[in-house]
Amino acid sequence: MKTREVISTGNDLAALAAVDAGCKFFGGYPITPSSEVMHTISDLLPQRGGYAIQMEDEIAGICATIGAAMSGVRALTATSGPGVSLKAENLGLAQMAEVPMVLVNVMRGGPSTGLPTRVSQGDIRQARNPSHGDYRSITLCAGNLAECYTEVVRAFNIADRFMQPVIVLTDETLGHMHGKAIIPTQEEVEKGVVPRKTFDGNPEEYRPYGVGEDEPAVLNPMFKGYRYHFTGLHHDAKGFPTEEIETCRKLIQRLEDKVMNYAEEIEYNEEFMLDDFNGEEGEVLIIAYGSVSLAAKEAIRHLRKDGVKAGLFRPITLWPSPAKRIRHFTDMVKNVLCVELNIRQYTEEVERVSGRLDLEGLYKVNGRPISPFEIVEKVKEVF
Amino acid sequence: MARTLMRFTGVGGQGVLLAGEIFAAAKIKLGGYGLKTATYTSQVRGGPTVVDITLDDEEIFYPYANDGEIDFMLSVAQKSYDLFKDGVSEGGTIVIDPYLVKPTDEDRKKWRIIEIPIIKIAKEEVGNVITQSVVALAIANTIMNAIDEEILIETMLSKVPPKVHEANKLAYSLGKKYALEALSK
Repeated sequence: MKTREVISTGNDLAALAAVDAGCKFFGGYPITPSSEVMHTISDLLPQRGGYAIQMEDEIAGICATIGAAMSGVRALTATSGPGVSLKAENLGLAQMAEVPMVLVNVMRGGPSTGLPTRVSQGDIRQARNPSHGDYRSITLCAGNLAECYTEVVRAFNIADRFMQPVIVLTDETLGHMHGKAIIPTQEEVEKGVVPRKTFDGNPEEYRPYGVGEDEPAVLNPMFKGYRYHFTGLHHDAKGFPTEEIETCRKLIQRLEDKVMNYAEEIEYNEEFMLDDFNGEEGEVLIIAYGSVSLAAKEAIRHLRKDGVKAGLFRPITLWPSPAKRIRHFTDMVKNVLCVELNIRQYTEEVERVSGRLDLEGLYKVNGRPISPFEIVEKVKEVF
Repeated sequence: MARTLMRFTGVGGQGVLLAGEIFAAAKIKLGGYGLKTATYTSQVRGGPTVVDITLDDEEIFYPYANDGEIDFMLSVAQKSYDLFKDGVSEGGTIVIDPYLVKPTDEDRKKWRIIEIPIIKIAKEEVGNVITQSVVALAIANTIMNAIDEEILIETMLSKVPPKVHEANKLAYSLGKKYALEALSK
């Protein structure tokens, strides 16, 4: 793959990624620490034939984004935790009506307005179920500057493939850190774009939701002659509200199955210094994601120098979780340390999929990053 | 080169961020790795701000400077100085603006404290207070010898508008002059 070297910040890279991936619309509202995504994309989109609108609030920001996506274009919104809370209802609408869009959440301290300028990973559980009801959220989590670009690109491709919103989590550290990133060229990104499916037959026979039992809806662009009804209510094949028992059951089961039957397509992890793990005593498995994984990698370098065989498992797709791969390592390695900038939000998922309740954890919720030194200390203290 | 950790502190709005970006970009131009992180409060202007700069020939993962390992700090505000000084390693160098920061006697024993009137130089000798970040950049590089000077100046000029190139070149040379004078004392 052809690559280029850029010097940038995570927020600027997220904006660039969207535009390179063909995004033509941004609707949003400024909020620290995500505002630069909007600033930068407001500059880039008009140069590439797109539109960016600062709406009156967070809710309008996602509504405009959904509307743009319904017209057939790729559309983005970006925000931080409190903004996701406000957008939640409409994330649910996009799940139910199967509208592909991308939401970038640059995480800051919560709950509520929390710590606006400080780093956190407090939105992991929120990303799994931002709105009520049964559906499967797809959540990707960038762990370095380059991934602020590549994960946004991947999110757009996944959104169009699965016809639903995709959340990309970054955080204040990644959003604002400034340094080198090696990213694919724009041509490479464009080559990887698979256009959304459309129905080209007789408009009278168009049934956007009349698809196979684990397939996503086929939504043609609005106002191009293919009419359908758009609603958050349970709906039939043409989108009209219904309470017919089997139709309702099949619809919600399909929202579940269209993701879970193909979760392997979305799974993406990094396994750092795990090549030489074989289950021998003394091995230390660290599980971390996002900016915390940077500290974990640095800690692993130190631990290895001190003779501790440590390695990192880093999920990049957080939801659906890489259950089998986590289980593979937690079955093999006795000493497991989960490190998060929240209190056990992903640890509980690791407990669930590993069936183990003896995992160690290092958590911080005061808006400050976890340093490599703290991880080294913790490993030496507990194992 | 071993890892170089530098910290610039001030209050929001003073422009301490720019010097960090220039350092990181210059190091990357030279084929190495450079990272800048900034920490600030929700008080946009007037809140304590800290910029950490990490330079290395090897890949840097963790972008913040670990407290106690910082080789060099520059401070132009008392509250930021008080908040962040303890991150500097014992015997490390701290450059302060003597009109804005008053270190204690104990501080002077613990660290090499260099006094340079950064804001006054920018305001009166350059004639443009915004150039303080370039004065600071020159001081930091002269003392730390972190980056090839030519590349650093070239990078700096690429980040400021052409109409202020001359002012910033002057700011750099003055910063360097004051730093050399301070070092020879």
